[in-house]
Amino acid sequence: MRGRLPRLLAQAALVAGAVVFAYPFVWMALATLKPEAEISALNPLPSRWTAESYRLVFETIPLDRAFLNSVVVTGLVTTLALVFGSVTAYALARLRWRGREAAFGLILFTMMVPFLVLLIPLYTLVVGFGWTDSYAGLVVPFMMNATAVLILRQHFLSLPQGLIDAARIDGAGELRILFRIVWPLSVPALVTAGIIVFIGSWNEVLWPLLVVRDEAMMTMPQMVTLFAVGGGAESRLGPQLAAALLLALPVVAAYAAFQRRFVESLATTGLKG
Amino acid sequence: MPAELPTVDSAERVAYAEALGPTAGAAPPASVAAPRRAKRDWRGPLLAAPYFLHLAVFFGYPLVFALVLVFHRWDLVTPMEWVGLGNLGRLVADDLFARAMLNTGLFLLIHIPLQIVVALFFAELLNKRMPGQGFFRAIYFLPVVVSGVVVTILFAQLFAFDSGYVNRVLVALGGERVPWLVSPAWAMPAIALVATWKNVGLYVLLFLAGLQNIPAPLYEAAEVEGASRWQTWRLVTLPLLNPHMVTVVVLSTIGGFSLFVEPYVLTGGGPLNSTLSGLLYIYNQAFTFNHMGYAATLGLAFALLILVVVLVQRRVVEAEAT
Amino acid sequence: MRRAALLLLAVSASLAACDDGTPEPSPEASGPIVLTYWTSQNPQERAWADVLVAEWNAAHPDVQVEAQPIPAGQSSEEVLLAAVVAGTTPDLCSNIWPGVLNDFIRAGGVVALDGMPGFDSLMAARTPPELADRFVSADGRVYQLPWKTNPILMIYNADLFEEAGVARPPRTYSEYVAAAERITADTDGDGQTDRWMSARDIRPIWWQRYFDVYPLYLAASGGQTFFDASGDLAIDEDALREVYGFFQTLYQRGHLPLSTLQGNAFAQRRIASEFTGPWTAAWLVENAPDLRFDFAPVPVPDGFDGEPVTYGDYKNIAVFSSTEHPEAAWAFARFLVSPEADRLLLETTRQIPLRAGLLDDPALADFFETNPSMRRFAEQAPHTRGVDAVPSLTEVLDAVAQSYERAIYGAETPAEAVASAGERIRVIQEWAH
Repeated sequence: MRGRLPRLLAQAALVAGAVVFAYPFVWMALATLKPEAEISALNPLPSRWTAESYRLVFETIPLDRAFLNSVVVTGLVTTLALVFGSVTAYALARLRWRGREAAFGLILFTMMVPFLVLLIPLYTLVVGFGWTDSYAGLVVPFMMNATAVLILRQHFLSLPQGLIDAARIDGAGELRILFRIVWPLSVPALVTAGIIVFIGSWNEVLWPLLVVRDEAMMTMPQMVTLFAVGGGAESRLGPQLAAALLLALPVVAAYAAFQRRFVESLATTGLKG
Repeated sequence: MPAELPTVDSAERVAYAEALGPTAGAAPPASVAAPRRAKRDWRGPLLAAPYFLHLAVFFGYPLVFALVLVFHRWDLVTPMEWVGLGNLGRLVADDLFARAMLNTGLFLLIHIPLQIVVALFFAELLNKRMPGQGFFRAIYFLPVVVSGVVVTILFAQLFAFDSGYVNRVLVALGGERVPWLVSPAWAMPAIALVATWKNVGLYVLLFLAGLQNIPAPLYEAAEVEGASRWQTWRLVTLPLLNPHMVTVVVLSTIGGFSLFVEPYVLTGGGPLNSTLSGLLYIYNQAFTFNHMGYAATLGLAFALLILVVVLVQRRVVEAEAT
Repeated sequence: MRRAALLLLAVSASLAACDDGTPEPSPEASGPIVLTYWTSQNPQERAWADVLVAEWNAAHPDVQVEAQPIPAGQSSEEVLLAAVVAGTTPDLCSNIWPGVLNDFIRAGGVVALDGMPGFDSLMAARTPPELADRFVSADGRVYQLPWKTNPILMIYNADLFEEAGVARPPRTYSEYVAAAERITADTDGDGQTDRWMSARDIRPIWWQRYFDVYPLYLAASGGQTFFDASGDLAIDEDALREVYGFFQTLYQRGHLPLSTLQGNAFAQRRIASEFTGPWTAAWLVENAPDLRFDFAPVPVPDGFDGEPVTYGDYKNIAVFSSTEHPEAAWAFARFLVSPEADRLLLETTRQIPLRAGLLDDPALADFFETNPSMRRFAEQAPHTRGVDAVPSLTEVLDAVAQSYERAIYGAETPAEAVASAGERIRVIQEWAH
């Protein structure tokens, strides 16, 4: 029943799947190193390697500055979402209080409302605070993240109560219990929630387009979108793809660094994103 | 806002508690029933306060604003004008919104089953614990982490009709070119393909988690009783995967309803409105035509629809399982 | 625990404090006035703006200008409007499309310029007399300083035309279709067409129609825009039917691909002609130096005779009400349309400043000598129409884009498509009242 042939077929299917998921990226990476005229050619390899597309990107837009902005914004959003998310999730999972269920329901409800509906009111609000062209405008509206709360709450529910009771008997406050005892036991969930928040924040385009006008404050996806879709690339394919690849690289690198933990925790606990 | 919340709350709480995976049901009762000490009562609200304060400002205020907009006409530049139920009347008579809803339905019909079948297929393969398993898991997840902007820039090229790489390969293999994004019949399936390609990695991992949680003795027992592989899968694997199935269906529904960037960049909603998604239509009403009141009406109607569909789905998937 | 809670608070407070992205100069401040100036994202225009801003800043230590590019294309709409709603507009912007100006005026977002020092003499000296009264708004004031217009003409690849035996650029629809017949081909023999007469972005995006339907419609209708002077709908339905029929024929016969070509198909010689503005010439000279091309007027229906009119992509300068220094902003605006600035605009961006007597300017004689194609745009510039400044403009154009799509896909006849567009526009106008 579990013969050699099915295993070979299965292995082949896995490889085929990997090709389907990875090849477009390989194609894109190679296309950015080709002369413009060859991009749509059947042969994915360039006849002559050239960094012309990248030169054009870096000549036209200050991507280094945008990269830094994105790192700051995404770093802050992720950190704050994890800290506040943990505190909230802990309150929802491990403390009993009136209105707790309603509070949790409210968080779930916020996930159902399309962001587009809230966009303009949110924008006028942020402008009212004077936060255009600032990190505050990019970070504060997103420093709380419902998905992070869901993931962390789910994990906190599974921890043994004895642990917490013991700490309480020792006189530890709830925040101390959370950060000293619960956090060390929650690394996979924190990594999962962190990566999910990180991906979402890193890839956000529409919001920075609205609140940031000053080129020195632009985030990387914003700048790449303006460049590729907004006319900076002037309908040349190579630079468009090069800018897109540069945008993908940091998030892929972050994913690669945490990949083992992340995939592991997602795969073993079945948490959702 | 407070009036309708309790129903949302209790139904969704159950929905998500189970949707979040098998551990939810298995959580030790003690964990939920923390010691009931009145003097600790204030700690929960206090810890949750920052989150809900933030929510009140950055979600509550915009939502109330949107509710106010439902009864107004507002073009952003001149003062709002009260129109009563005018926006609702317009919604009921709006053929294009109906079309956008139909398109979204069609998209979900292709996207969800495709997502489930593909994800189950690869999850089963990965569960066989073959060499390079970790590598494959990582690769399948790669499109999930990459920005939608990157994916659409990429697929605009790959799916181009005349010089796109996919059609080049098809022709080289002796096939015909496929009018991926330019025929009314193909455009939505093509977009569903892109969306599935981008998101399926997440669901592969979710199913894989489910498969790995199924105790081996159950399979051994089935084998002893002489069940065929198909029977085993149908009677053991599938029922035990149900919580994950719920998660996948709910998540891909919510994800599917938020279809926007793919049609926005790849097709602009065409050809012949075949890829006009709900969100794309709302976006156009809001930002192309500046009908903020009408767009808010559409958006809230859309949110309600998502809620109803998710609740119905849960009922159906659960009934299926029992 | 209390300590930790305080820490959380402190973090949020410090976040709130770091909102000093662009310091707003207060009138009392001792430093120089700082003007924020929004320019286009287009690299050549940015280069032009950088030169002028540097020059200005060097000569005016008390009024310093800071240039910021605004996004072009699909994303510019929400960005500009969001800025107007929020009052975060710059001091001035040189990239105001007349179609959005109407919204800015109704919002009180722009300053009337006709009262500014030297306005009348500047307009009289610079603006071509044919166009002088086209910039007056409904209330009789002028809120825009006419800056440039890019007439849409037909560019063609001279080599491809010659090879196919097309002796001169087609003037009428039948000549165009006949030329398309000869040019559209499968050049590598794989059974698939790989060279076309032309190609367009076929996505149903309203502003894409400025590069196919609208210029041809203006030509066919003798310059009749979609709305009349009082803001009522006034589409010349016969002309629109002609245009739809023309494109339907081309698409149904495969002379234009019913798909959006990726990359610059004209530079890659995959298409022989295109409807476009002078910026294409600038781009081609730099990126495809071997390509032989020229420009000709857009085709007109058979038997049409009259003044050749086309769409002109007007971009004008506006001063926003949010400015604290309207006089300084106006002075800088005047600097942007000085004869030297206009010459520089023509030379570096190959776009057409809206200046009378361009062709007679001795300082530009050399330029037109070496760039004969630019002469065609300069000649055409006075014979252009822009868009109507009416509130439901984009929605009406969207209805046209949708009906045009039905025509080129063959889902409706040109007559049906024009009729259904009219139907949709009636519904739109009903909703608007």
